[in-house]
Amino acid sequence: MLGKILLGILISAVVVVVFLMPSPQEELGEVSRIFFFHVPVAWVTVLAFLFAMINSILYLSKKDPVYDTQAAVASQLGFLFAILATISGAIFAKSAWGSYWNWDPRETSVFILLLIYGAYLALRSAIESEDRKANLSAVYSVLAFITVPFLVFVVPRVFQSLHPADSVINSRIKIQMPFHVLAVFLGSLLGFSLLFIWIYGLEVRVALLKKKKHSQVEKKEV
Amino acid sequence: MFANFGVMIVVLIIWFGIFAYLLRLDKKVKELERK
Repeated sequence: MLGKILLGILISAVVVVVFLMPSPQEELGEVSRIFFFHVPVAWVTVLAFLFAMINSILYLSKKDPVYDTQAAVASQLGFLFAILATISGAIFAKSAWGSYWNWDPRETSVFILLLIYGAYLALRSAIESEDRKANLSAVYSVLAFITVPFLVFVVPRVFQSLHPADSVINSRIKIQMPFHVLAVFLGSLLGFSLLFIWIYGLEVRVALLKKKKHSQVEKKEV
Repeated sequence: MFANFGVMIVVLIIWFGIFAYLLRLDKKVKELERK
């Protein structure tokens, strides 16, 4: 419980500091504060899809349905956070480049990522047999994650993009931001990562309880 | 400055709402797991 209260305080403190400190990039104005929300949310998206892939591999090797549940929950959360990253990016794009959507390489790659994981969720809902669903979606999840590093880290840096590629680290792989901005950014990154882990754990427990109840009902019917 | 303050209050209210919901859900899940 103490950890959850501390997380609540951490994120509240980050929100207060983000809005009361000078804007991180004066030339972009007030909207540049969205950086402290947009980048951590995008980071959590990658983290969630990584969780999904690891759990899928574990399912394929051990055939334990708990790993399948964990992979499904991680993919759903990754999809949700990808939508949040897209919306926050679009708000920033409207202010910085004059349009919510520009088919910029970064925007296009996030759109493809949403399609890939949207198809994963559609695949899961289309198959009734639990074993078949778990096997197929585990293989799909592993293959889907292979595209993530390319779509998130490579494509936007290879093709010319409006999106700033060096807002966190520059081309020499060195962090480039003033100390106070870095401190708030790291606080936000930590807060969102812990929030994801909390929601992920809760959702897994809810999914397992639902499965347990479902199997109890089935047993009663038999 | 004042516009920022207004947005900050809105974001904080949304965050407190999410936080309270998660705490309630956590409590409810614990109860169901005990049963």
